[in-house]
Amino acid sequence: MLTREKYSYYVEPAALEVTDRPRKFLAAFAAVLAHSNYGAALDTYCRLSAKCARCAASCQLYEASLESRDIPCRRSELLFRIYRRYFTQSGVIRARLFGGFTLTDQYLDEMADEYYRCTACRRCKITCPVGIDHGLVTHLARWLLAEIDVVPKALLVSVREQLEGVGNTSAIPVPALKDTCEFLEEEFQDLYDVQIKFPFDVDGAEYVFFPAVSDYLLEADTLMGNAAVMHVTGASWTIGTGNYDGINYGLFYSDRMMERIVSNVVAEVRRLKAHKVLVGECGHATRSAWFIPAFCGSDAPQVVNCMEYAHQMLEAGRLPLKGNRIEGRVTYHDPCNVARSGRIIEQPREILKAICDDFVEMTPNRTQNYCCGGGGGTVSIDEIRSFRTGLMGKRKAEQIRATGAQIVVSPCANCKKQLREVCEDNGLEDVEVLGLHDLLLKVIDLGVTEPAQNGAQHVTEPEPEMQRNPGG
Amino acid sequence: MGLLRQLVMTVWQIYKMIRRAGDKRVAYRQVLRFTVRWLFPVRQVGQRFFFSLTSVTFHVAIIVVPVFLASHIALWESGIGLSWPAIGNGLADVLTVIAVGTAFLLVLQRAVATDSRALSRFQDYALPLLIAVPFVSGFLAMHPTWNPFPYDLTLFAHVASGDLLLILLPVTKLSHMVLLPVTQLVSELAWHFPPDAGRKVGAVLGRGEQPI
Repeated sequence: MLTREKYSYYVEPAALEVTDRPRKFLAAFAAVLAHSNYGAALDTYCRLSAKCARCAASCQLYEASLESRDIPCRRSELLFRIYRRYFTQSGVIRARLFGGFTLTDQYLDEMADEYYRCTACRRCKITCPVGIDHGLVTHLARWLLAEIDVVPKALLVSVREQLEGVGNTSAIPVPALKDTCEFLEEEFQDLYDVQIKFPFDVDGAEYVFFPAVSDYLLEADTLMGNAAVMHVTGASWTIGTGNYDGINYGLFYSDRMMERIVSNVVAEVRRLKAHKVLVGECGHATRSAWFIPAFCGSDAPQVVNCMEYAHQMLEAGRLPLKGNRIEGRVTYHDPCNVARSGRIIEQPREILKAICDDFVEMTPNRTQNYCCGGGGGTVSIDEIRSFRTGLMGKRKAEQIRATGAQIVVSPCANCKKQLREVCEDNGLEDVEVLGLHDLLLKVIDLGVTEPAQNGAQHVTEPEPEMQRNPGG
Repeated sequence: MGLLRQLVMTVWQIYKMIRRAGDKRVAYRQVLRFTVRWLFPVRQVGQRFFFSLTSVTFHVAIIVVPVFLASHIALWESGIGLSWPAIGNGLADVLTVIAVGTAFLLVLQRAVATDSRALSRFQDYALPLLIAVPFVSGFLAMHPTWNPFPYDLTLFAHVASGDLLLILLPVTKLSHMVLLPVTQLVSELAWHFPPDAGRKVGAVLGRGEQPI
C-alpha cells in the first residue's frame, strides 16, 4: 500500500484506517484535557484570540508562502474550533440549537497536514499581543493526532527503535558504539598525539553523556570536541551503555512518548549512580531533558548542556586554548529549542568570540532567531525536503547569505542537517555548517590536562534562573 | 460580573495548573516581563507599524476617555461616592475623535490586509464599530449644537450601546481586558506537565501497553 497517498509525509498503514477516527480523536482529546494542563490554556486562548495577524508577520513560512493556511493563528484555530464545539458548554449548546461544525475525517486530514507544516519554533509566541503560544497548540494537536495513529513514519520508527528496539533512534548497538569511540580515540592519537578516552559505564561519574545518538554516525568532530573539553577540564564523565541517546522525538508528537524517553534517561543516570545529565549538541534533546524535573521529580539529576559546561570552564579559566584562532567569517544559528526561552544565548557567543577571528551575528538573532526550517522533527522527514529547504528554509538561507559567513555554527544535530540541506538547495554550497565543539576541538590545547577529580563537583551550579522555565 | 467570573475561573485554573505541575519552579520574572511588555506595548509598534500604531492609539483613547471623563466621574460620585481626577473636556473631545477614527481605521486595515482578512470573524469587524457608537453618541451629547438628533435619543444610544458592550465583554474577545494580565502565565504553565499525564492518558485510551 502506498503510505504517502494522503499526506505530504509517509505514515504507517494504521494512519489511513478512517474507521471512527473523529470519535477516537475526541476521546483522546477528552483524556488529555482531563490529565494535563492544556485545558486551561485552550480555554483562555479561545476566549481572547484577537485575530490581529501579527503572528503572520513573524512566521517565516507565511512570509515565503503567503498562503493563509500558514498563518499561525489560523492553524491554531483548527484545534480551537474542536475545543469550542465539543469541550465548552456554550459550544455544545450552540451545536444543539443551530448545528454547525462537526468533526470529520476530512477535517482531521487537514489538521494532519497543517500541523506538520509548522516547526513549533514558537517565534510567533513572542509577537502575539495576547500571549497565545501557537507552538504549544501545534505540540498538543500533534499528540492528539498521534493517538489516532497519524504520525510521520520517520518519527514513529525512530521512537519504536528507541523504546522497543535496539534502544536508540539510530539503532546503533553497543558494540558498534564502542567501535566508533575506539576509532575516535585512535583519531586523537593520530591527529593530536594525545590519549583521550571515551569512558563507558563509570559508576559514580559526575556526568552521563547524552548526545543526539546520530552524532556517533555523522558528527565525529563534535564528539571529539566534547571529549576534548571533558578531558582537558579533568571532568568525571561517562557514556552509559544502557542508554546513550539524548534524542526525544516524543517532544515532537506525543507527551506519552516523551515521558517514557525522559524516564529512561534518568533510569540510566541512576543505574550508574551518577549525578548529572550532560546533553550534547542538540537543541530538542536539551529541551526534553529540561523536562526531567517535571516527569521525574525535583530530586532528579540536574541537566547541563555541553555548551553551558564549556562556557563555565572558559569563564573559570579552565579551558586551555592553543592561542590559534578560527579563520574566516563565522556566524551562529540559535537553535529554537535552547534559545527561544532565552536559556542558552550568550554562552556559545562568548566562546565563539574567544576563538574566532571574525564572528558576525545573523539578523535577527537570539530569542528572535528564525528557525532553521527543520524544527519540530520535520528535518527527519526526508520526503518533504523540498518544502523544508524551499518555503521553510528560504528565510534562513537569506539570513546566512547576508552575513557573508563561510562557517555557520549550530549546536544542534537537527539544525545542522537542515542547514546543510538549506545551503545545498539555495546556492550556498561554499558555506560549511559545523557544531560549536567542532571549532573548540581545533583550538583547545590538548597537552594540558587537569587531574580527574573522581566525581567531585567541577562546575559551579548554574544560576537559579537558568534552571527554570522548561517550556517558556 | 461575567468578566469577574472569567478572571476568578482563570486564576483558579492557574492554581490547579501549578498544583498539578511536576516541576513547580516557574520563571515568574520572565512571565512578568512578557506581561508588562504587552500591557504597555509601546515598544512593540515596530512590527506591522501602521496597524500596531492604530491599535495602541485606539486602546489608549478608549480606556482614558470613559474612565477619566468629568461627567462619568460625577456619575460615579453621585452613585457610590467615589471620585478621581478628570481630564479636561477638550482633551476628551480630541481622544474621542481619535477613538472613533482609529476604530474605523482598524476595520479598514483588517479588511485590506490579506492576512488579517483571512483570519477575521464577524466580531472582529463588528466590535470596533460597536465600540465607536458610545463615543460618537457621547460626543454628540456633549456638543448639542452639532447634534442633529434629539438629546434623549442620543443619550439613549450612548447608554444602550455602552450596556450592550458590557454584556458582550465576557462572551467575545473583549474579555482580553481582564485576561491579558494572566495569559502569559497560562501559556508558561501549560508547558509544566503533570508528572504522569502521558501514562494516565495511555491507560484511559487503552493504548498504554500497546506496541508503538
